[in-house]
Amino acid sequence: MRARRTATASTPRVQDMLARREFLRATAVAGSGLLGASCAVNAVPKGRTLVSLWFSYGGTNREVLEQLVDRFNRTQARDFVQAVYQGDYFEGLAKLRTAIAARCAPVLSHVVGEVVPYLAEAGVLEPLTDYPGLADLDLIPELGQQRSWLNGGTHPLYALPFNRSTPIAYLNAELFAQAGLEAPRTWDELRTVAKRLTEPKAGGRFGFGCPINWWFWVALVGQAGGAIVAPDGRIALGDGAGVAALELWQELVREGSLKPPPGRDYNAWEQCNQDFLSGRAAMIWSSTAFLKYLEAHARFKLLAAPLPAGVRRAVPTGGTFWIVLRSAPKPEKAAAARFLRFMHETQQVIDWSTRTGYIPVTHSAVRALEQRNYYGAHPNDRVALSQLSVAEPWPWSVDLFRIQREIVQPRLESAVIQQRDARALLVEARALAMEPT
Amino acid sequence: MKRAAGWHAILRRGALCAVALVWLFPYLWMGLTSLKPLTEIVSSPTALWPAQPTLAAYREVFRSLPLARYFFNTSVMALGIAGLQITLALPAGYALAKLRFRGKRVAFALIVATLLVPAQVRFVPVFSLLAKVGLVNTLSGLILPFGVSALGTFLIRQALLSVPDAQIEAARIDGAGELYIVYRLLAPLLRPTLISLFLFSFVSHWNDYFWPLVLTTDEHARTLPLAIALLREQGTGVRWHLVMAGNVLLSLPALAVFAAAQRHLLRAVTVRGFGG
Amino acid sequence: MKPSRAGDPYWLLLPTLLLLFVFFVFPLVMLVEHSLFSWDLLTPARYVGLANYRSLLRSGELWQTFGTTLSMSTVVVLGSMTSGLLLALLLDRPGHWAAFVRSAVFSAYVVSWVSVGLLFLWLLDADSGILARIYSHFSQGRAPRWLADPALAPWAVAAVTIWKITGYALVIFLSGLQDVPVSVLEAAELDGATAMQRFRSVTWPLLRPTTLFVATTSLIASFQLFDVVRVMTQGGPVRATTVFVYAIYEQLFLDLRVGRASAEAVVFFGVLLLLTGAQFLLFRTQESA
Repeated sequence: MRARRTATASTPRVQDMLARREFLRATAVAGSGLLGASCAVNAVPKGRTLVSLWFSYGGTNREVLEQLVDRFNRTQARDFVQAVYQGDYFEGLAKLRTAIAARCAPVLSHVVGEVVPYLAEAGVLEPLTDYPGLADLDLIPELGQQRSWLNGGTHPLYALPFNRSTPIAYLNAELFAQAGLEAPRTWDELRTVAKRLTEPKAGGRFGFGCPINWWFWVALVGQAGGAIVAPDGRIALGDGAGVAALELWQELVREGSLKPPPGRDYNAWEQCNQDFLSGRAAMIWSSTAFLKYLEAHARFKLLAAPLPAGVRRAVPTGGTFWIVLRSAPKPEKAAAARFLRFMHETQQVIDWSTRTGYIPVTHSAVRALEQRNYYGAHPNDRVALSQLSVAEPWPWSVDLFRIQREIVQPRLESAVIQQRDARALLVEARALAMEPT
Repeated sequence: MKRAAGWHAILRRGALCAVALVWLFPYLWMGLTSLKPLTEIVSSPTALWPAQPTLAAYREVFRSLPLARYFFNTSVMALGIAGLQITLALPAGYALAKLRFRGKRVAFALIVATLLVPAQVRFVPVFSLLAKVGLVNTLSGLILPFGVSALGTFLIRQALLSVPDAQIEAARIDGAGELYIVYRLLAPLLRPTLISLFLFSFVSHWNDYFWPLVLTTDEHARTLPLAIALLREQGTGVRWHLVMAGNVLLSLPALAVFAAAQRHLLRAVTVRGFGG
Repeated sequence: MKPSRAGDPYWLLLPTLLLLFVFFVFPLVMLVEHSLFSWDLLTPARYVGLANYRSLLRSGELWQTFGTTLSMSTVVVLGSMTSGLLLALLLDRPGHWAAFVRSAVFSAYVVSWVSVGLLFLWLLDADSGILARIYSHFSQGRAPRWLADPALAPWAVAAVTIWKITGYALVIFLSGLQDVPVSVLEAAELDGATAMQRFRSVTWPLLRPTTLFVATTSLIASFQLFDVVRVMTQGGPVRATTVFVYAIYEQLFLDLRVGRASAEAVVFFGVLLLLTGAQFLLFRTQESA
């Protein structure tokens, strides 16, 4: 019996291997158990309140944000902001919402305006009115909650402006000068200019590039005299103006003067910027957010210009708002509020705005910039700021984001890229928007 | 006959080279791109060798990502899953291969049936379940859902069927408990199978993208494939040199394991199904 | 063998069955239940009966997703099997070169989908990707936008998938070829059969079970494509590459519609069951044949 056991017993090497494997597994599970113990385990300087900030920028904007966060962390000893990158706006928003559902949400984040009413009504946002200093920042009203939404002031303060923008046109000044053209001020001029600057040969230049995106469509709808949501709450999607907006794009594509950039969401914007920089598009519509990026990388002189008028001038505002999540512990929320106050101080607003191209959000910042003749030296930066006079507020509608993402955006792409009937698509969209979710 | 053979050989050699090119050139290109500065990539994309090879891309990737953390997370997760699977599949396979009991066929069918329910079908409720118990964004949440390996259980059962009962009975008479039999007696006999399973599971879960994407929110539990994929989403011009440098770092471990343990991986892949 | 103690087998199986129940059975039940509600994870769920299914059908999404998945999967399976078989025939020989090439092809199977996706995103880039540059060398005008054109994107993604999984078919076919008795092949050669004839009358029939196996496992696997779509096209352009899993992911995470995502997952599961059932039936008839 004994002999048999030793005969079947494992050799030392295999014993080792087994032991090693069991050890590894034990470590793995133990390690994961430790790490799994809580959702948030961080290396924070002692004694400070941690503020977890989830952000959604890449590139230069990310660097500037990280520098401002760093400045905050260095210039006071009470709080510590930890910024985590989460992908683009939509990916970041998806993660934020699922994290809220999984009770793993950060304290602070920033989201696009269209989704704020939804989050507010779902009860996940912390009202900011009672935090010291936040209710009386000298915000430019079109950029703050007050005028970014219809009757925004009637709701508790949920959102503070962060990176705010309007769509603007970028022109290749050299090509325009060569052709003796100026920035188009009306839709008709847009059609003519785009056509004149298009080179019809294969691989030639397009006169106009524009991401086929909700934001620009909303601009066109406003310019054609319509509104996304009618005053009585009906989801109008611009009615006739919505169709006119889409048909303008379709017409320009058919004529060959508009190049719809490929890719989805921000890939398309990026592609559009590349087209402009490489000279493949003489004029593009993009965000003022890319002003510094484009200026830095263009090998030609570039001009920024406001968007043209249809029956009137109109632009939506864009970018994101700071939000504080209600689910976070009280001390962290207070710390987040302190960070927000810091970010709205004139110096930070100026730094953020002048290094990225986003619009400065406080009156004092604008005044300071004007005093040092910043806009004289950088006329392109003034364009978005001036366009605020024709900025249209968003409706405070909980369905707005869903309508944008699920219903309208895919149909815009479909209309322009596949040349489907604009009227039919919008009728379809309106019907879907009326359905209860 | 000889001349035909000559042509044949040349064609064959040519075909081999072409195949090797199609499958190796992309990697080569990836590596070369990671060594070029961005300006060079944009201005002369087809130039083969970098004019000024530089490791700046790698430095930037290391600087902007907590890579050590991601490597750690991914390794712990993959090791955890592979280890857990084997730890559970051994007793299960033993029971199904060697013991008589009621409900044996049902148990076996259930385990095999899990192959029919991929992660992509389960993830919606599993996500909300893990969310309720606070395991989202944790490594446990990444490991536990994959603890059951139908393939592993099946292979172990298969291998154990050929182990003579007498050995086990002898051990029992010697006073060995079932756990000893499973882990100390039988496991060493199955070493090749276990190694293959371990490696196969390790590599495939190291590469997992879907589950960590769904289940992690920040670098506490985020894994390397996710982090590298995020390099792509930058917003102002894709920085290909960074993406490719990150990609090199991502691909190396899998390729290294492959180079070192090809035989074992192949053994796991060529399992010819259930009666096939 | 009888167990030492009657309860032993159950204890041995307990961890496995426990995890199985928690992570397979329970979720399936939950899935069906969720599909009857409308829920966004943030606010309370609302019972809507079969409305999610109706909505999926009516909007045409289900058909589109199914069609996209089916066509891409078919191309992937046929493509990878063909190239896998051809490569197996080419590489079924001793020698260092052949071994090296075999490893090269199979190595693509071992790296992650993210790796491959990012790699080909760069290679196929319509502006500075090397394929585009080579294309414009040889022809006028610019290269087609493989990933941005709704007509081309699915095939580009399918091609990348084929590149990655050919190694799997290769390996399986190689082991299948080992089973072809050399003696029969030699006899055929002595009888004067050419390589083509030998293949058609000896090798191919004997490879049938292998072929079936590769076909069905590849089909089921390719129905579950996600990573490559997420990394390369995010389901676009204009939903041209929105396959089943991507559609479910999008519904859940980007649109936060748990009910609808669950309904779509239930349908997906049904499709997989059908495919797997077909696989079993085919094998059954194959064995009895």
